[in-house]
Amino acid sequence: MIEVNEIQKKFGRKKVLKGVSFTAEKGEITCVIGINGVGKTTILNAIMNLTPLNGGQILVNGETINKHSYEKITFIPDAIIMQPSMTIAEAMEFMADFYDSWNQERATELLDFFKLQESEKINHLSKGNRAKVNLLLGLALDVDYLLMDEPFSGIDIFSREQIADVFTSHLVEDRGVLITTHEINDIEHLIDKAVLLDNGKVLKQFDSEEVRETEGKSIVDVMREVYQP
Amino acid sequence: MNRFVKLLNFELSRFMKIYLVLIALTIIVQVVGVIVTANSYMAEANKMIYEEGLSQAQFIQQYRSMSFLRFARSLWFMGPIAVCAAALLFYIFMIWYRDWFGKNTFIYRLLMLPTARINVYLAKAASIVLMVLGLVSVQLIILPLENSVLKWLVPIDFRSDMTVEQVVGWDYLSILIPQTFTEFILYYGAGFMAVSVLFTAILFERSFKWKGILLGIGFVAISGVIMLSPLLATVFMDHYYLYPLETLGLEVVLGLLVTAVSLWMGHYLLTKKITV
Repeated sequence: MIEVNEIQKKFGRKKVLKGVSFTAEKGEITCVIGINGVGKTTILNAIMNLTPLNGGQILVNGETINKHSYEKITFIPDAIIMQPSMTIAEAMEFMADFYDSWNQERATELLDFFKLQESEKINHLSKGNRAKVNLLLGLALDVDYLLMDEPFSGIDIFSREQIADVFTSHLVEDRGVLITTHEINDIEHLIDKAVLLDNGKVLKQFDSEEVRETEGKSIVDVMREVYQP
Repeated sequence: MNRFVKLLNFELSRFMKIYLVLIALTIIVQVVGVIVTANSYMAEANKMIYEEGLSQAQFIQQYRSMSFLRFARSLWFMGPIAVCAAALLFYIFMIWYRDWFGKNTFIYRLLMLPTARINVYLAKAASIVLMVLGLVSVQLIILPLENSVLKWLVPIDFRSDMTVEQVVGWDYLSILIPQTFTEFILYYGAGFMAVSVLFTAILFERSFKWKGILLGIGFVAISGVIMLSPLLATVFMDHYYLYPLETLGLEVVLGLLVTAVSLWMGHYLLTKKITV
């Protein structure tokens, strides 16, 4: 389980996170929702120890993140995080070299799934295809948790559909997925738990299935209530 | 393979194209330079002897004989060395900043590798040191070649021959190419210390942004003052009690201390303070 406990973060004098707490479990898709600049990416960066916190604590499977954690949890940001001069094959080779959890079989399957050519250079790819390469490099790791930052941001509709298909496939089965987005339409039906952020705080967190069954509301309905009371 | 070695191999391969250009530049410019220097000397000799009527002895007395040092003091020889030094100095900064800026943010990947983050730091530092050693090795290999070209182009009567050992013992070349193992450890140890101090200063900037620039400059300044303190003491103290060998020993200890603090601080910043 990923436990985010009362985390606080300041940029200069501006408090971006003011005691945010939530959990994300294995086998569930948890979505952190909020407008741009609310601190969604900062939360993911903090989970991966890519930015220091001013308070609070984050635990992954009961431990603070360390070098071994990166075989258990991976982060797929919205920008490509490989050298653009690499080909997809070279990027995969790099991952295979460094990660024991790299699953070459799944990587090959993902290449087919996304219809990508190994010989293509990353800097020659469209934004949609770069996002797919990012996903490929993350999903091909045998990790317990996947963090995804705005996976649909600035991507054409066909690539969106293809990426959304990933969430219903066996590729994320049994893993915990923590996703941030401000465009929820594509994946609303897939989300197990939603965390609504505003002004550095968690406004509401709920089990989407439960809300759907007991109150007959979708996540977007709840968002309307919370953000436009 | 050990992840540090993989990272080192990766860092070296990232700079390889530019590095090979630097090596080619050094070889081409220096070899052309020795030909140009030798030919212009002989042209001057021919002009003075055949047109101005100077004897060979008078010419040599007036213009001195041609030695390798005449070439080694020229821009043909020192220029490529200066370009390589400037390129590597620039790359000390680029090796970090290229991972943050531009089309990609490769630093995400480097910091999420399942290895101690200090390995990223050490691999970058080691790659700089290895690249310096590589360029020095190339220089050592082409020195005998250049010496032979010089001998081939200038008749023996006009030459003061030098062995390669004599050439590398001259002036600044003796720092680039140490004469003994102890000198090697001292000079390249000092080089590694300088790289680690600069790396840590860069990480201060990457961790604390504007405040980090001041912290980085402060860190470099304090390290400099610590290293210069024995020399400053000889200037400012009325009674300086250390013999030169003891001063050298003190410098070595201080150098080790500064390197250790730089590495520890770099490790701390990378694990606790760095922001992507």
